[in-house]
Amino acid sequence: MKTCLIVDDSRMIRRVAGRIVKDLGFETDDAENGQEALDKCRIELPDAVLVDWKMPVMDGFAFLKELRKLPNGDKPTVVFCTSERDINHIVDALSAGANEYIMKPFDSDIIESKFALAGLV
Amino acid sequence: MAGALTLDASYYEALKRLTLELAGVNLGTNHAFLVETRLARLAREEGYVSLEAMIDELFKTGKTRLAVQIVSALTERDTHFFKDRTAFHNLRKHVLPDLHHKRGGGRIRLLSFGCASGQETYGMAMTVAKMGDELDGLKVDIVGVDYPSQALERARAGRYTHFDVQRGLPIQDLVDFFEPDGADWAVKQEIRDAVEFRDIHLLSKLDTLEDFHAVMFCGSLPHYSAPARVRVLRGLSGLVREHGYLILGEGENLAQMNYGFDRVLEGPGLYQKREVIIEPEIDPDAKVPTGRTTFDKSPSRKRKLAGSR
Repeated sequence: MKTCLIVDDSRMIRRVAGRIVKDLGFETDDAENGQEALDKCRIELPDAVLVDWKMPVMDGFAFLKELRKLPNGDKPTVVFCTSERDINHIVDALSAGANEYIMKPFDSDIIESKFALAGLV
Repeated sequence: MAGALTLDASYYEALKRLTLELAGVNLGTNHAFLVETRLARLAREEGYVSLEAMIDELFKTGKTRLAVQIVSALTERDTHFFKDRTAFHNLRKHVLPDLHHKRGGGRIRLLSFGCASGQETYGMAMTVAKMGDELDGLKVDIVGVDYPSQALERARAGRYTHFDVQRGLPIQDLVDFFEPDGADWAVKQEIRDAVEFRDIHLLSKLDTLEDFHAVMFCGSLPHYSAPARVRVLRGLSGLVREHGYLILGEGENLAQMNYGFDRVLEGPGLYQKREVIIEPEIDPDAKVPTGRTTFDKSPSRKRKLAGSR
């Protein structure tokens, strides 16, 4: 079964997104910020990461850049899931190695569509 | 779900008949919820006190405009960008490269038939734009047609919601081909310039349309009644130029009839228009050369297009 790490400082978002991603056939884990996510990735890389941008301790953008430096850190498919909708933010995320980008609010159709576009389902 | 509905069964049956007669589409038995939600919105927008009042007005007065609005609302497809991935794969991998190869340059026309709120039509324009140098020298005009409806007005506006642009549209395409417009996203002018929308009755003779090098017709065929299916496919056959393409949706096909098309084996749902061929009459007493003669069945169209290449 594929694995997905859900990284968001909101417990509600982690829970809602987790349920949707589980319905897509993933085993899920979560983290409250980029640092916690990075620590988990150092132990075992997930197949996918759904990550918020703005978070305390380490934001999603810094997490992505650190993740891509890890051995095999280019393997996980990273989908941003954030309220940032500025084109420049999106371009930055793609330049840093994000595979797809979700603008909040989201629903199950959007996550499924974006995971499909990223080749995850 | 049916228990929560308020519309009397007789109204529902009357609307089913109307939709079949006008659009050739079978609404089926499980569409009552869709009928209520879509028509309630239309009734509100048109200023009727209730859905029943709007339907009563329709059947008392027989207003054509209202009938078309109602049928358009009922038959509107729930669509999203690049919904039929196989069809777009066929467009990108077979149809456009072949048309480019055969023509080299010049201008071609593509049709998005039953374009609803325009995502398919703009998707075709984005596909052309992404192919860039691969189609060097080829100018592509794209026409989207559907019944006059609010969906078609949305297509013309080229403005999509936060949810619309996140269903089926790769994020890179959002960056490349859209710009923020308040809470929504607007298709960039360069893509809009390649696209035109027209309202037509999809079951009409279609003779107001010029001919096309390829027609995309996805997702609607299974909903048509058998006679309507024959009618619409005959109509489309008349629109596609010789050696042009008909791109159907995934899992859709022409069944037993060919309508002048041959199936393209490499592309599921892809058909290519045959040459129109007249075999010479054989006079058993005369020696005639073997061979065949081709003719253009619509010389007036050919004349009209002569300057387009």
